[in-house]
Amino acid sequence: MKDEQKEIIKKRYDISLQKGERFWPDSIFKDALMALAILLILVLLATFIGVPVEPKADPSDTSYVPRPEWYFLFLFKFLALYGQIPLVGKIEWLATVIIPGIFIGLLVCLPFIDRSPYRYYGKRKFALGFMAIFVTSMVCLTYISDIPTTLGEGFYLPGILQTIGGLVIPVLGYSLLALMNFVFKKAPAKSMIWATVGTVVLMAGLTGATLALAPAVAVEETSVASTLTDQIIAGQDLYSVNCVECHGDDGKVTTIEGVEGLEGKLVMPINGHDVLYTLDDASLAEVIVYGRPDAGMNPFGKAYNSEGLTKSEIDYIVTFMRFTWDDRFELPPMAPLFPALVAGEVPSYEVHIAPIVKRYCVSCHRAGKDNGNYLMTSYEEILNTGDNVPLITAADENSILLKVIQEQNILDEAGEEIIGVMPPKKVLGANIVDVFMRWIMNSMPQTAEDAAAQSTTPTALPTP
Amino acid sequence: MWKKIYAWLDERLGLNDIYKATLDRPEPRGNWWNTLGSASLFLFVLQGITGIFLSVYYTPSPDHAYDSIQYIMTGVSFGWLIRGIHHWGASLMVLVVFIHMLRVFVTASYKYPRELTWLIGVGLLLVTVFMGFTGYLLPWNQKAYWATTVGTQIAGSVPFIGDFILKTLRGGPALSALTLQRFFAAHIWILPAMLAGLIGVHLFLIIKHGESQFPNKED
Repeated sequence: MKDEQKEIIKKRYDISLQKGERFWPDSIFKDALMALAILLILVLLATFIGVPVEPKADPSDTSYVPRPEWYFLFLFKFLALYGQIPLVGKIEWLATVIIPGIFIGLLVCLPFIDRSPYRYYGKRKFALGFMAIFVTSMVCLTYISDIPTTLGEGFYLPGILQTIGGLVIPVLGYSLLALMNFVFKKAPAKSMIWATVGTVVLMAGLTGATLALAPAVAVEETSVASTLTDQIIAGQDLYSVNCVECHGDDGKVTTIEGVEGLEGKLVMPINGHDVLYTLDDASLAEVIVYGRPDAGMNPFGKAYNSEGLTKSEIDYIVTFMRFTWDDRFELPPMAPLFPALVAGEVPSYEVHIAPIVKRYCVSCHRAGKDNGNYLMTSYEEILNTGDNVPLITAADENSILLKVIQEQNILDEAGEEIIGVMPPKKVLGANIVDVFMRWIMNSMPQTAEDAAAQSTTPTALPTP
Repeated sequence: MWKKIYAWLDERLGLNDIYKATLDRPEPRGNWWNTLGSASLFLFVLQGITGIFLSVYYTPSPDHAYDSIQYIMTGVSFGWLIRGIHHWGASLMVLVVFIHMLRVFVTASYKYPRELTWLIGVGLLLVTVFMGFTGYLLPWNQKAYWATTVGTQIAGSVPFIGDFILKTLRGGPALSALTLQRFFAAHIWILPAMLAGLIGVHLFLIIKHGESQFPNKED
């Protein structure tokens, strides 16, 4: 830049200073207001939205779909789309190193690339257009980052739209702007604005179309217990499903009964000092992860058992064992399994039956167990599965389910037992039998609202 | 009395000169877009303060990182607020720094005589993003673990030196306790020190050249 040009720039800046304001207090005042607004926004976000809870890192859970922080999503999506390009798409480092490197290089070298002394917007159509396309593509890629790029084999329209909107159109836009700037310098000034606007609108449109066409991806909800009581409850539920069959609900079983392949095996009671005093939390968790192959215990860690438990889940079971059976720990006050019923109240599947079934039945009544094909993991299964349907008949107090939980086994005509008493090794409390009785006599309502509608005494709905 | 103390201090520290040089400056007429730089600085200070509080309870080891954060969220009084501000502040800082960069780009404030200010600014943007990347692993949850696995893999795809970069970042071939320790050191010592140094130079250059004016048709 020539010295005369520098002089002009300095002179113009001095003029703007004379027409300007003082840093103190004019600018500082605005800055302080901005800082205050930011602090307020952060406090509100922290209070009302909080930090999303995630389960503990589990290196063995290779099925986890990784997602970066939101400001890397555009890069993540770019890599996914780039991988779809035939041939070039296989050269990974082009997309991970060279292309981001070029953009960062452009950003760093910007003052030395853009050497014109002009600052007014109208004189910088190329630079502004280029940036507009870049920022739009960042935003668009971020928006479509959740939508799968391919869906199995074959033609997948949203995938094609993504590639066009996320890769092809921006590249065309950059090229068009570069052509007009460097080759066809005499093109009408407005053509550059139109090229930019056109590219931006096309990208936004294709992103919108992709979002509209692609099926919404169901976000998998992972429940994370954050407080101690939640962890103990989660641990007890997991214990009830995974461990009860062999160890019993109080952990004092010494000889396994009624488990295929392990009949008569001797086990150490896991609720006593021998286990709880000699093994610390980490060792207990390891026993669950690796199992005890010599004693017939399966490994429960995800790495060794595809249907196994995550690290967090195993930690919950250990916490449950500690606080329930280890006399050095004091069990904090726990909420009851289900809210007690008052006279005339009708229980619902969601509030009452589901937690009871999870605690006492699902251990055997799930897929892959010897259970007469009666599964109890969902509302529909409880009503409709089993070799001896119907097990539940609305308003029938002789329903099979009600009989077996009241210690009456079911015999066929020849006097052979078809269904034994349930649960096989435990007698359910009278209050639990009462819940099932009232539930079936009132046609098995699923939600708390349905149940409340049938209750004779109005009860407050539990807050969700 | 106060006047005397002030005069004594001023004689030795040059308070008046500092005031004139840093605060009592003329400026071109600005608007709210000009507050983004100071907003970034404010967020940096806020992240620093909340970060220091978090480091009191946080343990950078795979066995305890997750539980120590659980404890901050449920056991420490106002721990949830400090962590919440730090969590959201990180996102907001990346956003504000990026928009600040866009504003400077749009008004072409990177041109003579502020080329160096821009260069330092790009450095600040990149270090801020790295702060986000390293901080993301520290809670040691599923999201953090797998995002870092993929992120370091991407860094490892550089031709020839990729394997070296990957092992340097991870402290070995796989994500481990060493990775967490390294990211922690980078997040609380190396990168903040870089940020603070670069911010110092950035501010010096701004005071030296003054804030740029919004361009009009003759610029």
